[in-house]
Amino acid sequence: MTLPLAHVGHYLWVLYLLPILFVVIGIVKTTLSERRRKDED
Amino acid sequence: MSFIPFAHALASRQDLPVPAWLFAWAASIVLIVSFFALSAAWREPKFEDERRRPLRASLPHALLSLPAQALCGTIGVFLLGFAIYAGLSGTEAPDRNFALTFLFVTCWLGFPFFSAIFGDLFRPFNPWRAIGRAVGAGFEAIAGEPPAHLQYPEWLGRWPAAIGLLAVVWLEVIYGGGAGVAVGLSPEPVAIAALLYSAYTLAMMAAFGVETWCERGEVFSVYFGMFGRLGVFGSDDSGRVVRRRPFSAATSWAVVPGSAAVVLASIASTSFDGAKDGAYQAPIEKVTGWFAEAGTSLAAVRATDTIFMLLTFAGVGLIYLLGVRGMRTVPGAPSFAKLRIGFAHTLIPIALAYLVAHYFSLFVFQEQAQFTYLLSDPLGTASTDLFGTASGGIDFRLLSANAIWYVQVGALVVGHVLGLTLAHDRALVYWPDYRDASRSQYWMLAVMVAFTCFGLYLLSVSNG
Repeated sequence: MTLPLAHVGHYLWVLYLLPILFVVIGIVKTTLSERRRKDED
Repeated sequence: MSFIPFAHALASRQDLPVPAWLFAWAASIVLIVSFFALSAAWREPKFEDERRRPLRASLPHALLSLPAQALCGTIGVFLLGFAIYAGLSGTEAPDRNFALTFLFVTCWLGFPFFSAIFGDLFRPFNPWRAIGRAVGAGFEAIAGEPPAHLQYPEWLGRWPAAIGLLAVVWLEVIYGGGAGVAVGLSPEPVAIAALLYSAYTLAMMAAFGVETWCERGEVFSVYFGMFGRLGVFGSDDSGRVVRRRPFSAATSWAVVPGSAAVVLASIASTSFDGAKDGAYQAPIEKVTGWFAEAGTSLAAVRATDTIFMLLTFAGVGLIYLLGVRGMRTVPGAPSFAKLRIGFAHTLIPIALAYLVAHYFSLFVFQEQAQFTYLLSDPLGTASTDLFGTASGGIDFRLLSANAIWYVQVGALVVGHVLGLTLAHDRALVYWPDYRDASRSQYWMLAVMVAFTCFGLYLLSVSNG
């Protein structure tokens, strides 16, 4: 199956970067909320 | 592997049900789910104990007997000698000469693939170890005492092997590659390199001892032995063949300094080879253009490729070190140095996954040549037909483009899930509370997702 992504051209690598960004953002958010919870305790 | 018509390019074009990048998303989800499953269900370290059980059958013991070792060593020496002879005396056509396929496909890829299942298979066939041991035994018989050796510097660890690994890949991929310039790796320089490496290795064995050098500095012993740590068979201190828990022997592999550099060099060199004619092509051509203005085009290509390979090594190392640095944020974490060494073995399945993903199709195709026309006509001069298979060929229809892609994705996912499992298991050693251990692995999860997506991106571009 080919999605109409031809115009994306050389920026197709962004689609491979997004899962990494999601994971990193998730880790940062979790770490910060855990730290906040610990400070409140 | 540029000297042979590259297997990826020869298969028909892929016709995937979904775009290639969606596989990266799916693989990432598999890793995240595996991470949470490990966090919930894996609360005790399981791989630290190898659970060695000696094999009772007589065959494994016969395999470790002195005559069997002598026979295996002799086979190794003969094959190395023959490959060198074929390289020096055979045809210059790389795909018709026994030397290149035997050294760079059958050995360089075959030993990692099969050692990862069965344990270190190279050790008994190591030609330099066999020569070193025979010379040592001869010396002892004459002098009445074993040869004296220098003390191997502890800090040097496996660094000679890591540098040597990059040098081997440099010879094959960069010296023999030369994108855009018609060079290609011919058999003669490979034979000369093998002779020089043999002289260097035997000199180092004489200086530091055969087993010490094989354990620390001999490139092929260290590299193949690293994958052998994943396998189910090994030997104990008394020389008996033992069966052990799969992957468990890897946990003690990285204690020697420089081990992390070896496994990172393996990932980086495979990545570079995959990216050279794909993802890196445009930037490489750009930088080559700058160099070409100052010198010859061939030197410019090699200099640019060398820089990109070293940058890949630095980039892969940086991703790993960031993962290790992330672990330090969890209370009770050991020192950075201890974590860096302690988690290096978790990259071995990833190095294997990269190797399988990038080269398994090349291996399948080229081994057909190895066991047909290269076996019967090893010099490629069309003057011999030793086994009646000289007219054989490669059936490129054996693997479809889709089958290659699914094996590539499968290898990367399985390799990274294994890496994640080994990392979680090691974290439970450093953080006895499983919640802290799981928290420490957040960043290793990011490392694994990054390596998976990077690997799939490289493959998708080079598969084109």
